[in-house]
Amino acid sequence: MSVVEAVNLGKTFGSGSEAVTALSGIDLSIESGEFVSLIGPSGCGKSTLLRLIGDLTRPSSGEITINGKSAEQARRDRDYGIVFQKATLLDWRTVSKNVELPLEIMDEARRSERAAEMLELVQLTDFTSHYPWQLSGGMQQRVAIARALAFKPSLLLMDEPFGALDEMTRELMQQEVLRIWAETGTTVVFVTHSIPEAVFLSTRVLVMSARPGQVSHVIDTSLPHPRTEDTRESNAYYDKVTEVREALRQGERKS
Amino acid sequence: MTADPMDAFSGDLPVGTSTPSSLRVRLKSYGPALALFVGGLLVWEAAVRVFDIQAFVLPKPSTILERLIAQWSVIIAAAGNTMIEALGGLVAGVIGGVIIALITVRWAGAREGIMPFAIATNSIPIIALAPILNNMFPITSPVSKMAAVAIVVFFPVMINTARGLIEVDQSELELMRSYAASPRDVFARVRIPHALPYFFSALKVATTLSIIVAIVAEYFGGPQDVLGQYIIGKANLFVYPDAWAAIVVAAAIGIALYGMVLVTERLSMPWHVSFRAADEK
Repeated sequence: MSVVEAVNLGKTFGSGSEAVTALSGIDLSIESGEFVSLIGPSGCGKSTLLRLIGDLTRPSSGEITINGKSAEQARRDRDYGIVFQKATLLDWRTVSKNVELPLEIMDEARRSERAAEMLELVQLTDFTSHYPWQLSGGMQQRVAIARALAFKPSLLLMDEPFGALDEMTRELMQQEVLRIWAETGTTVVFVTHSIPEAVFLSTRVLVMSARPGQVSHVIDTSLPHPRTEDTRESNAYYDKVTEVREALRQGERKS
Repeated sequence: MTADPMDAFSGDLPVGTSTPSSLRVRLKSYGPALALFVGGLLVWEAAVRVFDIQAFVLPKPSTILERLIAQWSVIIAAAGNTMIEALGGLVAGVIGGVIIALITVRWAGAREGIMPFAIATNSIPIIALAPILNNMFPITSPVSKMAAVAIVVFFPVMINTARGLIEVDQSELELMRSYAASPRDVFARVRIPHALPYFFSALKVATTLSIIVAIVAEYFGGPQDVLGQYIIGKANLFVYPDAWAAIVVAAAIGIALYGMVLVTERLSMPWHVSFRAADEK
């Protein structure tokens, strides 16, 4: 069964002469276990599409279902975890208390054990009692990932999670995310504006174009797993990066 | 008020953890203020002696100290009564301010209705209101002074706490929405912790205000064994050094209460950015 299913999805901000069409005619189907990246120029609505999946905003037209339910019901059922570009950790909570936050709200048992498991998954076991400001940007983002996965959602939404990190940290984090994806089997929808990042991480890349935001190309990035530093230097990887880049250029010309 | 967590990033190792030397560093940071205080007193003392300034214009610090010791039991008894008025009013005003802030942030409808009146309290001239309040309650009752204090401290507490509750990072609210968190959870886990620094800023202002307003309210009559009546009585008899001694005690109470708020603030939010900076220096 598909995890995310969208039919003719559209989103318009404002009304009348000031209306801006952010998304129009989006058809989408994401299968369980996939790693799908949304890539496109700024203003193409890729973040808006992610927010529609998470029911953080409502569509103006069309239909979207998550796990066969309405997006709102899926949010109420806590079907997804989300990671933003900013780690959004609560300053007054330690690292492990931050990971426990969703578990407290969902009134789940064994919270500290769950948090410990998650921090082991993101390799931050030594920092459980630190405060967020004592961590580097990359470590903060790893805490945010641990928090998003703490309640074992079937879907992980990531909105340019590594956009604020330096290139070295970014590549390390990409490896981490692929490892976590393989270990947990979570379906991932990943918004990025980095072509190499999209190709390296994804099983499928959705290339979007702006004004109005549409999916212009779907590119299968079926590089072998596990992907390593060698993957980044392989010809197949270069070919896929080129393919995505050309698709993005075509989208630009069209608009 | 809250800084971007990225600002605190300096390498992969945890920073800012308290070290044994931090106490010495802190004492050292008080050095300049202490030197200025002692130096100021010496200059004052010397100026009064050299220029032969009359005691009713400006008494010597040593004379004030002398009178403070001589009048100690009377002044302390008066200070105790003034403090009861100030603290009673402070507690009432702070509780009222926090409750109104919570209500106005939680229910938008209540905000529209209550806010104009809450803001109006800030415009009440307390000098004009104090004599009226004195007549509202029995002349020996401290309640009229407490009411004046409560009215004055209510506004800064209410408006700052409300701002702290409202000005929450949008992405923190979206995160809570993604968890389908109840409004109660959003308050308990995000809004209230976020408002704490704002609340304490207001409490520092309110504490100092409470002593000032209590003394001003005392000028307009009521029991005699309070600081306001003591100061006005001594001033009318031209015994200025005694009045000065009472002023010193009033200031000392204000500083002590302020210090207690500082300590409480530090204990209740050790995570806050303002305390990191102090440890890192």
